[in-house]
Amino acid sequence: MRRMKRTLATLAVAGAMVLPSQVMAEAGETLKMVQERGTLLCTGHNGSFKGFAEVDDKGNWQGLDIDLCRALAAAVLGSAEAVQFVPISWAQRFPAIQSGDIDVIIKVTGWTLGRDTDVGLQFSRPYFIGGTQLVVRRELGATSTADLDGGTVCVEGGTSTERTVTNHMQALGIEVDMVPFEKSEETLAAYFSQRCDAYAGWGPNLAVVRNEAPDGAENHMILPDVLEMEPTAAAMRQGDDNWVDVVNWTFSTLLMAEENGITQANVDEIRANPPTPALAKLLGVTPGMGEQLGLSDDWVYTMIKEVGNYGEIFERSLGQESVYGLDRGLNGLWSDGGLFYALVLD
Amino acid sequence: MTSSQSASFFQSTFLNLRRDFFSSKIGGTVSLLLLTLLIFVLWTAFDWAILRAIWLAEDHQLCKLDDAGACWSVIAARWRLILFGLYPYDEHWRSALGCFAVVLTVVLSCIPRFWSAKKIGTIWLLGYGSFYILMQGGIFGLSSVSIDQWGGLALTVFVFASVAVIGMPLAVILLLMRRSEMPIISQTTGVIIDVVRALPLLTILFAAAVVLPFVIPGWMHGDKLYRVILGFALFFACYQAEILRGGVQAVAAGQEEAAKALGLSYWHRVSRIVLPQAFRAALPPTINQFVVTFKDTSIITIIGFFEILASGAAAFGSAEWGFAYVEVYVFIGLIYFSFVFCLSRYGAYLERRHTIATR
Repeated sequence: MRRMKRTLATLAVAGAMVLPSQVMAEAGETLKMVQERGTLLCTGHNGSFKGFAEVDDKGNWQGLDIDLCRALAAAVLGSAEAVQFVPISWAQRFPAIQSGDIDVIIKVTGWTLGRDTDVGLQFSRPYFIGGTQLVVRRELGATSTADLDGGTVCVEGGTSTERTVTNHMQALGIEVDMVPFEKSEETLAAYFSQRCDAYAGWGPNLAVVRNEAPDGAENHMILPDVLEMEPTAAAMRQGDDNWVDVVNWTFSTLLMAEENGITQANVDEIRANPPTPALAKLLGVTPGMGEQLGLSDDWVYTMIKEVGNYGEIFERSLGQESVYGLDRGLNGLWSDGGLFYALVLD
Repeated sequence: MTSSQSASFFQSTFLNLRRDFFSSKIGGTVSLLLLTLLIFVLWTAFDWAILRAIWLAEDHQLCKLDDAGACWSVIAARWRLILFGLYPYDEHWRSALGCFAVVLTVVLSCIPRFWSAKKIGTIWLLGYGSFYILMQGGIFGLSSVSIDQWGGLALTVFVFASVAVIGMPLAVILLLMRRSEMPIISQTTGVIIDVVRALPLLTILFAAAVVLPFVIPGWMHGDKLYRVILGFALFFACYQAEILRGGVQAVAAGQEEAAKALGLSYWHRVSRIVLPQAFRAALPPTINQFVVTFKDTSIITIIGFFEILASGAAAFGSAEWGFAYVEVYVFIGLIYFSFVFCLSRYGAYLERRHTIATR
């Protein structure tokens, strides 16, 4: 699937290249446009990407990417409902943002050099870190990749995953048999039929895979070592610094709320009686939070009230409260051994 | 049927069977082997799809058992998502009615009784009008639904019908231009047709959806859906024009010359002599083209439309139903089958009708 993604992405970049000139956005243009329109145009999916953008029985979108879109809508427009999810394919996302069909890409998009420069995008700070990892059957007793010496690994052939695993094993100095397959369903079927000891893939996908195990998710575990990291970030049109600021501070304040224990449930309470001046400012009790960004002073309060902090969003979409049961791991706060931290309010 | 008649009927059937399938030892063995294989395959499918199947949405836990067959629970739980896509849940009846309106329009315009420009025009105007009002809303107290939310079967059928209704006249125009006696027109048209046919459909649709907005002025943009339908119709028309040209070549040149000699005008010659016979000769490949086009509509999922294949992918794209993709694809396959099969039968009916007419 990743290979197909790559082919389509090439097509999309080719599409973006034939454009007469790279569309440069003006500062503040996007925010103004969104506020005039009254809805945020965000990325949905043509189908489903489990845990990040999927559809429930009633056709409502849910998932991590979707909730971040909702948070952004709440921040900018004062309501998490003021967002329209445009169904968009992988190939289409870059041309779609350039042509203004959408305001922001929040769609498991890796921050790469080419996208940042040639494609004419600007990225926010990463909001999710996924790495190449391995899932194994629990009965194997392996606790890290190094324990797989002499074992077999099922992988989709010709992908970056295959290369990463091979390199990693060489670096560790251990021998594993790589068993490549053409498609993800085949690879998965092979792993489940015990053809291989381990299955290599993108971390969050592994959580999904584990969930689909015919013998039950509890019989499979994802090894903690991350073979290669891929930060995913929101992507925007180049040149609109204000809009990048808005998205960055949306993500940052979601984390800040989590650091300070502000949740959807207790935000009213804390706002009524803010323990520190910084939190008073964050929740819009005292002014100074919104004007520079072009938002209202209480935008963070609205956002937390409607969608919750980053931790709540994560647990709901991918974590323990969801069926996927993904550990926070690297996506936790720095204080919990993760990679995420809030920026500073001055 | 009397008893002696039925006896001779069975006897002749038996004799025919023996002659056709068991005439030699090798032939008999092969027949038996294939028959066994057929029965085995059919039985396995029947066993999986019916006998061991799980039917109720709330029984989905049973699907994970080892001896469980098809998990139709996924259809029971998610059929509305598959058929209507992202259309607002409470308004699904509108999408269903809209879909029905388009299908009815197509069916009515297939009946020979309605084949006059006035009647066909009225039918399509009414059908499309009601589809649009139902789907888009905004008047008669219906809430407004943006095109981004259209999806599922209604979108698939709408795209197909629109491509056909725009593409067919366009194909005739291209055909006439291609046959023009003025070299500039005929050669330019030839180049256009060849260029469009040389491009993959996906490229054309991608360009219409994604690249076009950059090169045409803003007021011409319209919605992505309409741009894509126009691109698709152009592609359809180029193929169909060539199919019709084959049909025209099957009409003896003497007919048109005779018509000329009788003093018929160009339009009369074309509309009364050449085209009706060309259509008749080109009927099998035309039906073929329609079938291919219906199935090609699934390509629009790549440019972000939530047509039935995409909504099917969304239906099994959740944690509970991730394992049940085969069932969803079978369900969608049956929907495609019922449409395409009707189309083929209609083609066969038209051919019979023509055979009678020429007899």
